[in-house]
Amino acid sequence: MLVAQETGAPVGGTEPPPPRPPGPRRRILSAAVALTALLATLTVLSLLVGTGSSPVARAWDFLMGDPSARADAQLRLAVLDVRLPRTLAAVLVGVSLGAAGCLLQAVTRNPLAETGLLGVNSGAALGVVIGLTYFGVRSSYALLGWALAGGMAASAVVLLLAASGRGAASPLRLVLAGSALGATFHGMTSYVLLSTQSTFDTFRYWTIGSLAGLKTSDTYPLIPLIVIGLLVAFGSARPLAALALGDDGARALGHRPGLIRVVVAGAVTLLAGSAVAIAGPIAFLGLLAPHAARAVTGPRMAAQLALSALIAADVMIAADIFARVAIRPWETPVSVLLAFVGGPLLIWIARSRRLSTAGGTA
Amino acid sequence: MTDPTAKDRAARIPSPRPPADAGPCTDPAPTTASAPPPDVTPPDSLVLRTGALSWLFPRRGALVAVALGLLILVLVALGTFASSTGMGFAETLSGLFGTGDPATVMLVQDFRLPRIAVGVMVGAALGIAGCLTQTLAGNRLATPDIIGVNEGATAAVVASVVGSSTGMIGEWWLGPVGAVLAAALVVLCAGGAGHRGHRVLVVGIGVSTVVGAVTDLVMSRQNDNTAGGVFLWTVGSLSGRDWSVGTPLLLVLLFLLPFALAAGNRLQLLRFDDDTAAGLGVPVRRIRALALALAVLLSGAAAGVGGPIAFVALAAPVLADRLGGRSRVPVLASGLVGGALIAGADALGRVIAPVEIPVGVVTSVLGGPFLLWVLFRPERGTGRR
Repeated sequence: MLVAQETGAPVGGTEPPPPRPPGPRRRILSAAVALTALLATLTVLSLLVGTGSSPVARAWDFLMGDPSARADAQLRLAVLDVRLPRTLAAVLVGVSLGAAGCLLQAVTRNPLAETGLLGVNSGAALGVVIGLTYFGVRSSYALLGWALAGGMAASAVVLLLAASGRGAASPLRLVLAGSALGATFHGMTSYVLLSTQSTFDTFRYWTIGSLAGLKTSDTYPLIPLIVIGLLVAFGSARPLAALALGDDGARALGHRPGLIRVVVAGAVTLLAGSAVAIAGPIAFLGLLAPHAARAVTGPRMAAQLALSALIAADVMIAADIFARVAIRPWETPVSVLLAFVGGPLLIWIARSRRLSTAGGTA
Repeated sequence: MTDPTAKDRAARIPSPRPPADAGPCTDPAPTTASAPPPDVTPPDSLVLRTGALSWLFPRRGALVAVALGLLILVLVALGTFASSTGMGFAETLSGLFGTGDPATVMLVQDFRLPRIAVGVMVGAALGIAGCLTQTLAGNRLATPDIIGVNEGATAAVVASVVGSSTGMIGEWWLGPVGAVLAAALVVLCAGGAGHRGHRVLVVGIGVSTVVGAVTDLVMSRQNDNTAGGVFLWTVGSLSGRDWSVGTPLLLVLLFLLPFALAAGNRLQLLRFDDDTAAGLGVPVRRIRALALALAVLLSGAAAGVGGPIAFVALAAPVLADRLGGRSRVPVLASGLVGGALIAGADALGRVIAPVEIPVGVVTSVLGGPFLLWVLFRPERGTGRR
């Protein structure tokens, strides 16, 4: 801009000052509103479209309470028994993974941490394989239980190891203990799979991840776990923000870094373990969502958590809708669509802003 | 672990670096300021001077390298001995040195030795690649598999299986080609390494996820036999590998090693922020690009030959760092540790059970606890983590 030498006033003097960019608070709020609206839209859409011969318009009538549509047994089955559970599951999985990924990246100060880092995914896979091979488990509900138990047990071992001894629960200890034991469980899974062909075929489909064939009742037991995890997550937003200053800074503010890390990692376990149990090992979403959220919020921890959860839920539902309609009448595995939706998104985020690693909020 | 951010902040404003506990970078070894002129020799080095030239000879590093080299030789000997045919240890050695009867010599030198040598080379390539990427990003999770190398190799192998009429896995060089293609795609998408190479890593996660998803999709339409065969490959195995793949791998290693050592030397200076490094005369961007390219080529070659063997690229640099002191980037030591890990794991996999266990399974099942045991042992007062 040309400036008059004498007065420092802009030349011309009549043009209005350029509009100020919206402050971070307003930006976060509008992003949250937009994402919530998108979530509502996608939820409705998720109930309207899908397999089967029921046209979308009829499903809309059903939702609107049209009596003739309500009387249609087939339609009722499609909407209430098939699509509603899936929609609920997608939201649960998305919110859990989004929040868990955000927490874990903050706690380990590592932008490459994903929700599988604490061994949750590899432990769940090992649980499923053990259930399939040695206990003859076949029902989806029982597999869910095995996955949950495996994921929790694995994560507990990792946390115990990381929190013991000197330098307890330092970020590097968490990362290394998680990677190391994750590799161990993964190796065990491979070994069992290589020695039993019959398990491998079922496991192949479990590991790809899908929300098909879920019943609403399957996910009920997990809801309390997810709620507890979320409560801990939001409760620890402030201590986590303090941790971003480094351990000494956090101590100076009266926090206990080791304790924070163990508690938060426990919340991550609840959230990620539930998500894996519902939908199989979809690690990628928990990595993508925090990156996307940070692009909007910067280092604000509570806002980051909320947006991360919302973004992940949006992406998850969208991927699941695509999974139903991409190659009709077949189901596409949801993890594949997540990759197709999320991969480019992550690349775009990484390209569009300078990823700073300051304060571990990458 | 004392958090160094406070020190950082005093020394440098603002601090763009992740704290040291996010990776292998810590401040260079403290110099002991004695009488003037201050002695700035790192405590683990000898200064060799001839006239105007001087060289810091890494005493501890050299010792570690020699010890690791000997360990690898012992493991190779044990590996040739470890197998199901009842051959005595003395007999195995005579075969190794070519002094035994011709049949023994042939069995040892033509059948067992090549495979073990290939294993050592695969491990070395993985270790060096892991060291470069971890140092580059200052992040222990930044292993080469993050930049799509394994997914690329797997995709190429799957494509060869699907494309062939027999359902057999194609030529060995498909793996490295796929790996390099995937990594090239990552670099194209990233359009630059970004801060500490982080942009490449994050884009790499995105690209490798998509490539992996395509592979999954293709595999989910295959019959179970094909899927089982590919799965065996993705676990990582050395069975049936011989000099036909070993020779190219050796050439690749020998050609790239000097570059890797040079890059490691320069990466040390990248532990400072970019401006400082540039001020010290480091061509920052070029060194980053070189280190990444080397990591891709090395880990791609390794993945192509042995399959995506888990965990070695992550663990070897951590162990090497622990062995060799922290004042330098342990490129050579990482390679040697990687070689030793795979040689040991391969030998174990052949004796531990009646059927051979693929080396990838052994490295991941036992490598994890081994790493933790080394790292989390109660330390003797060094105060380092």
